[in-house]
Amino acid sequence: MLEIGVGEQGEIVVTGRLDAAQSENAQQFLDTIAGSAVLDCAGLDYVSSAGLGVLLKTQKRLMEAGGGLKLINVNPHIHNIFRYSGFDHIFEIEPASG
Amino acid sequence: MRQVSGRAGGRVEKEFRRTFDSLDEIFQFIESFLQTESSSPGLLHDVNFAVEELFTNMVKYNPSGPPDIALGLSVEDGDLSVSLTDRETEPFDVTQAPPVDIHRPIEERKPGGLGLHLVKKVVDSLEYRHARGTTTIKFSKSLR
Repeated sequence: MLEIGVGEQGEIVVTGRLDAAQSENAQQFLDTIAGSAVLDCAGLDYVSSAGLGVLLKTQKRLMEAGGGLKLINVNPHIHNIFRYSGFDHIFEIEPASG
Repeated sequence: MRQVSGRAGGRVEKEFRRTFDSLDEIFQFIESFLQTESSSPGLLHDVNFAVEELFTNMVKYNPSGPPDIALGLSVEDGDLSVSLTDRETEPFDVTQAPPVDIHRPIEERKPGGLGLHLVKKVVDSLEYRHARGTTTIKFSKSLR
């Protein structure tokens, strides 16, 4: 399952699994975001290629308008997937501490 | 979801409906199996990842196939072996998927096309077989 919403500091908070079954819901939410945004991935367990597609589409749209998505608290497993995808050059990524 | 055989000799197999909505049940099935092995969170992540990519490809590219797709899990000599079996399929060798240039700038990148590239990154071995219309994809991952 996946939950996505706006946190107390205005950041986007995402928890659970961003998989093929949840990507459409995530895309609908992220399509409402404008400008520069922070995506807090502390509670995100997993991102599949379908989820990567959602993030890429969002990043392209935001960057074309001069903004962008910064990913914070990214766990090591998801970070590996980003590196294998070359997404570490497309997104500003802040790994989870500890 | 239908269980076609229980755990015997370290192997389990279940069939899952041909829909993305099966993913939660698939992840539970994998996690339940791996709980009895001395596995790491990284192993669970990588196995879930590879199974999702292979399963969803079967859903997407064989939409008119039989209702269920089989997923088997077993442990042999310290390796986890995972198999996905789909029937009434056209041949498509997942081990021969074209390489992906991950260094292209964002302007030249489009969503999609990464799944099999990433599967090869997270598994130790990947095998494909197609015979009499049945596709079987196997991968392994060390438990050590």
